Amino acid sequence: MQILLYILKRILQTIPLLIIVSLISFFIIRLSPVDPLAELRLNPSVSKETLQAETQRLGLDKPIIVQYAKWAKSFVKGDLGVTSNGEKVSTKLKERIPNTLLLTTIVIFLSWIVGVPMGILAAVNWKTSFDRILTVLTSIGMAIPSFFFAVLLLIFAVKTGWFPVGGLTSSNFLEMSFWQKVVDIAKHLVLPVTVLFTLSLAGLQRQMRGNLLDVLDSDYVKFARAKGLSEFKVIFKHALRNAVNPLITLLGFEFAGLLSGAALTEYVFQYPGLGRLILEAVLKSDINLVMASLMMGAVMLILGNLIADILLIMTDPRIRGGQA
Amino acid sequence: MYVLIVLVLILGLCKACIKRDFAAGETPQLRPKDELILADYPIEQNVTINGIDYLQSQAPIGKFGGTFVTSTIGEGPKTFNPFNSKDNISSTMSEIMYDGLVTTNPVTGETIPKLAKSFTVNDCEYLVNLRHGIKWSDGKPITADDVVFTWNKIILGGYGNTSTRDSIIIDGKLPTVTKIDDFTVKFVTPKPFAPFLRMLSSPIAPKHIFEPAVNRGKAYFDGFLSTNTRPEEFVTSGAFKIKEYVPAQRVVFEKNPNYYVINKNGQKLPYLEKLVYLIVGDINNQVLKFEGGELDEISLQGANVARFKEMEKHSNFTVYNIGPDMGTMYLSMNMNNRKNDKGKYYVDQKKQVWFQDKNFRQAVDYALDRKNMVFNIANGLGYPLFTPETLNSIFLNKDLKPYDKDLEKSRELLKKSGFYWDKAGHLLDRFGNHVEFDLYTNAGNTEREAIGVMVKQDLEDLGMKVNFKPVEFNSLVNKLMATLDWDMVIMGFTGSPLEPNGGKNVWLSDGTLHIFNQRLEGDEKSRRYPFENRIDYLYTQGALATKFEDRKRFYDEYQAIVYDEKPLIYIYSPIRIVAIRNKFKNVYPTSLGGVTHNIEELYIE
Repeated sequence: MQILLYILKRILQTIPLLIIVSLISFFIIRLSPVDPLAELRLNPSVSKETLQAETQRLGLDKPIIVQYAKWAKSFVKGDLGVTSNGEKVSTKLKERIPNTLLLTTIVIFLSWIVGVPMGILAAVNWKTSFDRILTVLTSIGMAIPSFFFAVLLLIFAVKTGWFPVGGLTSSNFLEMSFWQKVVDIAKHLVLPVTVLFTLSLAGLQRQMRGNLLDVLDSDYVKFARAKGLSEFKVIFKHALRNAVNPLITLLGFEFAGLLSGAALTEYVFQYPGLGRLILEAVLKSDINLVMASLMMGAVMLILGNLIADILLIMTDPRIRGGQA
Repeated sequence: MYVLIVLVLILGLCKACIKRDFAAGETPQLRPKDELILADYPIEQNVTINGIDYLQSQAPIGKFGGTFVTSTIGEGPKTFNPFNSKDNISSTMSEIMYDGLVTTNPVTGETIPKLAKSFTVNDCEYLVNLRHGIKWSDGKPITADDVVFTWNKIILGGYGNTSTRDSIIIDGKLPTVTKIDDFTVKFVTPKPFAPFLRMLSSPIAPKHIFEPAVNRGKAYFDGFLSTNTRPEEFVTSGAFKIKEYVPAQRVVFEKNPNYYVINKNGQKLPYLEKLVYLIVGDINNQVLKFEGGELDEISLQGANVARFKEMEKHSNFTVYNIGPDMGTMYLSMNMNNRKNDKGKYYVDQKKQVWFQDKNFRQAVDYALDRKNMVFNIANGLGYPLFTPETLNSIFLNKDLKPYDKDLEKSRELLKKSGFYWDKAGHLLDRFGNHVEFDLYTNAGNTEREAIGVMVKQDLEDLGMKVNFKPVEFNSLVNKLMATLDWDMVIMGFTGSPLEPNGGKNVWLSDGTLHIFNQRLEGDEKSRRYPFENRIDYLYTQGALATKFEDRKRFYDEYQAIVYDEKPLIYIYSPIRIVAIRNKFKNVYPTSLGGVTHNIEELYIE
């Protein structure tokens, strides 16, 4: 019951937050000197009448505040409006969200099942050569800029011919059998996943290692060891439980990044995800699409934090105590 | 495990390096003129078999089957409705699916029949005979009803993109379209209007599919046959029909089984089973995809040309030079002499004195080293340009001769207008103002940025101070079209090598793209420069005359005026270079048609 009340309170708090985010974003986009009709204007074969019709259709002839009110009204009703090409924003997003989710969930899943154990191993074997090698490798992983790494891998794909050059499916995808389709998608995913995995693995491993080292140094671990518990029990029953809190917070952020975290990598690999869609939309000031994605980002971030907090309440009796 | 991954990666990268690349160091020389291929393309001919009027391919007979994969840069098509398209990619996609009554001879540029069997022109009257017995992809016959419906209801009715309609209103009147019988249609323009013939290349829509949409009104029509429409709902007349559209990845077309072009054996074309357009984000990715073998055809630019030319020797593709591009790159000065609604001049008054001075504009023109730019920026693959009509235009005024950079002449022209130099070599006007201005172009376009740098250097030879500022594309257009607060700009247009009237939005003094002296909406009375008035007259007359020779006279004079007055200073036209895999046969690239003008005849050996 208490938890439910807490969740309700948090959800109510998000409303003013969303209003502020939307106001700021809308005005910044509209006040920037970007002309959404630029390409049409520079096309000698487009007539004056067509330009006027477009201006009216996009509502560019009205003051910004009226445009915002119109947008906000339909947003509250759950209607995201249409893109500057006249397509529904919701269909556009629906096309892309599964692709991005596929990529990011694989990456998050992989980096957690590899990163956390690696962090534990490194902490347990602190200052051994194993730990040192891992430290060097993770430092490299954190230092390589993602777009640069992505470009390197693309060149690698071209020169060896082992992997397709970007995209998500091959051009004869429609004729493939189910298993061929799975293999085809997997082949396309290897390189982008490698890039994102390397980055997030490095961070996660460092975080886990650091937390565990802190805890291993504490009195209650020393006490447990003195009690004569096996090393396995000491680490997994006592140390790990206490070291995992910051990671749960991190998980909340990862959740927020589910839809927007891979934009740069997506762009380099020509991956048909949200990142590329939004970037193109921002460049031509496609207001409804940009607003929808910004609002989505904000909601995901708030939701991610909320989930992390709830998880913390459930795992950590100290926090639970504070709530009661 | 992590160590393993990294090791594998390192090994892989090593393999990538070992693989043979072309020898570095030597830069292959391309001699554009020698390599221009002469088109020996045999034009398709009409032939009647069993009462059906086919179009017969005269090219060698090929094998059926296979896929041709090409690409488009950007975000992909915005619509598949040929009447709604406002951008190049959407137009390309709909041209594949819907044929027009006429098309352009890819070699000579004449208008030749396509969906129509023949046509006759008599002053204002255009009599079009249709083919008997040809069908839409769903098996329904293509008749005069489809043509009359398309023209009267969709195009003249103002559905979708109304640019075609807007450009054929003559003295407030529209042409009339009437059905004579099932296979004959008569078009009548209110006055003789030469560009009309080429407008007959507008796609023809299947009435039984489009009529319900038209009846539901314009707003519905805007979303009709959008990119979300199921492929089965398309009924086409062109060589191909859409099969699959995957957003941000590709558009797949399959062959239209009822296409009306046959080969010499009487078999229905196209040879290819599928045509695929990959949607790629940028040029670099496109090049990588071609090298990775995912693309069969690619347009090349700049440094890549030399690299591909070298790779060609031990690869499975051929590089073709198909002549000057339709694009024109130009430098323009803001000749605006008006005030904005706050009573402030759009252009600083002291700068107005320079930009409105013909001597100044000519001096800038003579200071530009076009040959050097072609050599350094386009890797020698371009031609210096001096006229608004492109070099492959059938209306090009060949009397306007090219010339080289001539600083002496520039200085003379400047002195004539009272400019002088101080001891440090800075240029000052006759009121003692330092000549300093901003030069804009759109950031991200490496070619224009490079031109900007070279223009800056050339103008600094004359003692001018040039602040070169690349700006984001959409913001730049806002400057050029709305706020009008710019000095000098480097931009480009795509022109038409066949119809100068397509440039009327640029050259008419109230045009929407009258870039060098843009007039805002509602400004009809402001003073025109004498040469603007003359071009207005020439453009109007040029469209009304019907004989080619008469038209050429008007358009020759307009080119001569631009050549002399320099409202736009043309820089160069790049050459189009295309690489295509050797396994494709019946490849006849032409300057006007590119590589895919005979897509139905391409086959894989």
